[in-house]
Amino acid sequence: MTSHVTPDSALRGVGGDGDQNGPRHSPHTAAATSSPPATDATALAATPASATAAASNSAQKFAQKSARGSASGPAKTRRPRIRYNRTESRWGYAFVAPALILFAIMGVYTIGYGLALSFARWNGFSPNWEWVGFQNFTDLLFGSKTYAPRVQAAALNTLWVCIAVPVLTIAVSFPLAIILNSAKRFQGILRSVYFVPYVTTGIAVYLAWQYILEPNGAINGLLRVLGLGSLTQPQGFLGNPDTALPTLIIVLVWSAVPVAMLLYLTGLQSLDTSVFEAATLDGAGWWRTNTSIVWPLLRATTGIVFLLNLRDALQGFQIFLIMTNGGPGNHTNVLGLETYRLAFLSELSPTLGLASALGWMLFLAALAIALINQRLEKRAQ
Amino acid sequence: MVDLAPAPSARKAPASSPYTPKPWYTRLFNLSGKTVVGLVLGLYAVVSLYPFAYMVSAAFKTTEEVNAGNNLIPANPTLDTLIDTWNRLHFFDYFLNSLWVTGATTLGVIVIYSCAAYAFSVLRFRGKTLLFRLFLVLLFVPGVVTLLPVVMLENEMGILGTHLGLILPFINGSAPLAILLLTNAFNAVPGDLREAARVDGAGELRIFSRIYLPLARPALITIALLTAIPTWNEYQLTRVSLNDPTRYTLPIALQSLQQGDTVQYNTLMAAALIVVIPIIILFFSLQRYFVNGLVGAVKG
Repeated sequence: MTSHVTPDSALRGVGGDGDQNGPRHSPHTAAATSSPPATDATALAATPASATAAASNSAQKFAQKSARGSASGPAKTRRPRIRYNRTESRWGYAFVAPALILFAIMGVYTIGYGLALSFARWNGFSPNWEWVGFQNFTDLLFGSKTYAPRVQAAALNTLWVCIAVPVLTIAVSFPLAIILNSAKRFQGILRSVYFVPYVTTGIAVYLAWQYILEPNGAINGLLRVLGLGSLTQPQGFLGNPDTALPTLIIVLVWSAVPVAMLLYLTGLQSLDTSVFEAATLDGAGWWRTNTSIVWPLLRATTGIVFLLNLRDALQGFQIFLIMTNGGPGNHTNVLGLETYRLAFLSELSPTLGLASALGWMLFLAALAIALINQRLEKRAQ
Repeated sequence: MVDLAPAPSARKAPASSPYTPKPWYTRLFNLSGKTVVGLVLGLYAVVSLYPFAYMVSAAFKTTEEVNAGNNLIPANPTLDTLIDTWNRLHFFDYFLNSLWVTGATTLGVIVIYSCAAYAFSVLRFRGKTLLFRLFLVLLFVPGVVTLLPVVMLENEMGILGTHLGLILPFINGSAPLAILLLTNAFNAVPGDLREAARVDGAGELRIFSRIYLPLARPALITIALLTAIPTWNEYQLTRVSLNDPTRYTLPIALQSLQQGDTVQYNTLMAAALIVVIPIIILFFSLQRYFVNGLVGAVKG
């Protein structure tokens, strides 16, 4: 693990642009920013976990590139005026145009629309929006008798998921990566096998889980065979309000372990082996080496894994929609699912503004977590 | 899952050989470390594949057998369920729909964002940084916020419920990742090549298609994979946009099967298998790009 850059350096980092020859990009800054792990860019990236990793990586490449550029670039105070070649500029705009047009329609417009809608009351059919200011937000948080209790219950469930999924994912993937790293043969094929839950994540796999979690499904059967009959669930694991949420958490961890394991594995393989030799000479055993040396050295990776899963847990809801649809009795309702229900499953009630407001609150929560984490990391330095 | 409870007695014990620390459990169970490593790794492989084993098992069972019990090996394995799902339940059509949506999305992502990345990486023009930032902002907005506006917008444009209405938002959704990875890949191409080609009289299009695209092939394959797999599985937007069963993609067809009167798990699992098999084949045949892409992305 080497590269984690603050988001603004990621944003500053396009190579070769005129307003970008920022003198702050010395190789030193590139190196310095690489140590605080898991910044906003990592915390909030788009869906596939890889996106995040990729983002932080390329961000660093950009930073380095700019760094190289600035070494030969002009002095600190003067903002250079780049002379843009007219033909080259035209080609530039032409190359960006398709992406930009699509982005203007599907990105800018929809984000703006969603933001505006969060301040309005609308049922999706009436011709006009009724502007209500921040009332959607206050209704969701405490104002409304109908929605506030549901949102609070969903928030509690979300909190459980947000704590349990990252922690359990780390608890499984870190030892797994260490053990996999010590395997010389079959490492590649095992890594691929472990990856299957991640690449197949989706409705097909969730239905398979549903099938084996049925009252007379394979998991209950397995427990009986193992002599753990007392743990079987006669109503099925998803039918019992007490076990439904923990079960979904386990399935979420199962799909999250592959990427976390890969990140740890990469981190392990980039560690300097002389550290281990020194530790061994000092008499540290296997357990001690891993807990006192490897674990602290891979703290940056742990930060990334934690934040990635925290963000997914906060905003993701597909598994809840498919496997339980919030049931039994709203025991597995989470905030993402509540947003979805308000937006698409509330018939003619004017809840679209509420849905939008809840979505933006989730966004703000994720942002806040990322910022707090960044602070803590900085302080820990 | 992996039990690593500390063994206090073993903590401070010196390693048996100075350079190869033996795991503490070696001494506890008097097994070779290799055996334990093998056991743990094998166990987790079983955990990883457990639901898939039952998916395959149920898909090869008859309705009577799947209702009777959940033994892993079907007593009379039959292909009828799969064939029935494929033909009578129109999963062949849904498969083609999924193939079209995924293929078009992936192609769109590759074409549109390799062009954009070329501009961001190589060309100089005013406002480049601003545009680049604009695309990155997309990384920070959660999908559920834009879901509803996308549906509203497409309703007005008249493309709601069409495949185009899925493909366009899917392409746009992949923009940040694709632009980042591809700009990165193009940055790695030596600038001298471009200068040399220009001296030889090649235009931008030619330089782009003959030099940059071939050299960035691994990154293009990585992006194709990272686009195709989530698109193939996409469920949330598809579920709220598609109404016409002839346009269903596989995930939605699967969901509609589940919502039928009685859930027949052999049919459901056969359908799930049809959804999963192409991804697994794709992943295992191109995993070098997938895993290296991920690893490379993280390692920097």
